[in-house]
Amino acid sequence: MLNHWLLIGLLSVSTYLSRLLGVEVMAGRRMSPVLRLYFSYVPIGIMSALIIKQVFLPAGGELTFSPPVLLGCLAAAIVMKISNLFLPSVVVGVVIGWFVRYFGG
Amino acid sequence: MSDKKKSWSDGIAEALPLAIAIGAYGLSYGVLAVQAHFSWISAVAMSMFVFSGSVQLITVAMLTSGASVGSVFVTATLLNLRNLLYGAALAEGIAPAKKWRWLLSFGVSDEPFVLGSSRFKKYGPDPLYFAVVAGTFYFVWVVSSLVGSLMSNQADPQKWGLDLAFPVTFAALLIPGIREKPAVATALAAVFIALGLEAWQPGNEWTIIVTGMVAPFAGLYWSRGDRQHA
Repeated sequence: MLNHWLLIGLLSVSTYLSRLLGVEVMAGRRMSPVLRLYFSYVPIGIMSALIIKQVFLPAGGELTFSPPVLLGCLAAAIVMKISNLFLPSVVVGVVIGWFVRYFGG
Repeated sequence: MSDKKKSWSDGIAEALPLAIAIGAYGLSYGVLAVQAHFSWISAVAMSMFVFSGSVQLITVAMLTSGASVGSVFVTATLLNLRNLLYGAALAEGIAPAKKWRWLLSFGVSDEPFVLGSSRFKKYGPDPLYFAVVAGTFYFVWVVSSLVGSLMSNQADPQKWGLDLAFPVTFAALLIPGIREKPAVATALAAVFIALGLEAWQPGNEWTIIVTGMVAPFAGLYWSRGDRQHA
């Protein structure tokens, strides 16, 4: 619990500083387009890694594959691609994953 | 209509469609934060003080997978580096607010950047517009986080499949961002890097940080042709 509050404090300071430094220090400076592109791809890399860590879970020193998570993610991705609606995509993904978990054998 | 009234009305009208999406993310965040063993108070406090959807969602996901405070902080700092770009781009538009720009800086993030930069390009500096947009998003984000965390308290995550909401949320967040080939290359590289690191040492807490730092080079490599022709 203490760790949660410590983390909230650290993240608050780090996030606000990054915003303030951008407004106060980086303003007016030319930034390399390559660096700009690099930063725009960072969230994609992190989110993909997070999905992989949920699809392949560690158990007893080995990785175990989770079909419900993979199929839930695929379903959410397809619905998002078609509809561009976030919440319905998440709901469909969770429902599909839940069905696979309980009825997939 | 006076300039001030126009900033208000345009700010609210243009923020509302995005605010609905932010409300949906906030609900997800609230549910997931409680699953990561945050109390509803600390979940809402994080929304109030951090006010960053990507940082908060990734934080609770990493904590759920057993990451330490240190690795969460490093990953969040890496994510926050893009705020330097947003802040630099918005600085001129909010400069007339003088010292209030320190408060407005708190609103620098993905969605306010999109609306703010397009407004400033069309009409020039308008700190009031930015304040209305960021304030609307802040209000919706905090309230939806509260509703999500209270909803999560009422349900058994495993029974209702809410634990699946973590990866599924990231899958839905990822799709709009991977329309172009370099972004797809980044995502694919991330899959291979993360798989490799997890296979090498299952459950290690550096997978996310290393992948977040290395995978974007695949996107840069893929986009080099576009940049050469630009």
